[in-house]
Amino acid sequence: MTIRVDPENNEPRALFSLADFNGQRVLEIGCGDGRLTWRYADKARHVTAIDAFEGSIARAMDNTPDDLKSRVEFRHTGFEDFAATNRAGTFDLAILSWSL
Amino acid sequence: MVHALEEIRRLVKADGCLIDIHPIPNAALFKIHRGSELLLAEPDPGYDTDESIPRAEEALAEAVQRGLFLIERKDEFELVTYASTLAELRDYWAAYGAYDDTPKDEAVTAQEDAVYAKADEIMQNAPGAEITYHERARITRMEPVGEE
Repeated sequence: MTIRVDPENNEPRALFSLADFNGQRVLEIGCGDGRLTWRYADKARHVTAIDAFEGSIARAMDNTPDDLKSRVEFRHTGFEDFAATNRAGTFDLAILSWSL
Repeated sequence: MVHALEEIRRLVKADGCLIDIHPIPNAALFKIHRGSELLLAEPDPGYDTDESIPRAEEALAEAVQRGLFLIERKDEFELVTYASTLAELRDYWAAYGAYDDTPKDEAVTAQEDAVYAKADEIMQNAPGAEITYHERARITRMEPVGEE
């Protein structure tokens, strides 16, 4: 058996009840291995997903489905460094994913 | 934490939004089942003193107080992680950096060790049992206030 996280889809259900991802430019902070990212990325215009934990980002990159590669960008970086190099008003939607 | 929220406010468009997801204090529950039989149900002692969780709530409240964001909607959900062995679950947490690695209080560590030792013993004597780790989480939609 492998680890299964949220097979009931409770997290994406809650997320979709609060946000519409269609055509949005999304920033996900603390994306980990992309577990949540995969659930909404197909709807977004573009996703930038960051995490300070290198192992998680490496897994997220390795496991990116082919059909999402053009719209999801994973970055190994802390939020402060990321914010310092990005302009105001870049994103439609930001997600703090278990990371505040 | 509030500084991070200030930066997020800057990066998000004026008509955009912020979604925050964080665990609810004292709510994680560690269970072992075999079929419909519940063999163990214990709170995760690690969460009892995890100061980062109340701090998340405080940071959101402060961001509202400072006029950075307005809270539009809130909800709660349960996130369950399933594993067939305790080692598998702990390896998963370690590999994915799921937890803060700052040293915990000695009493908390001892309590955690006791829960995990009990779980190990039950798992060894209950072939086919499954471990579930239950986390309650709060999800909040926030709207930026003012100009970018």
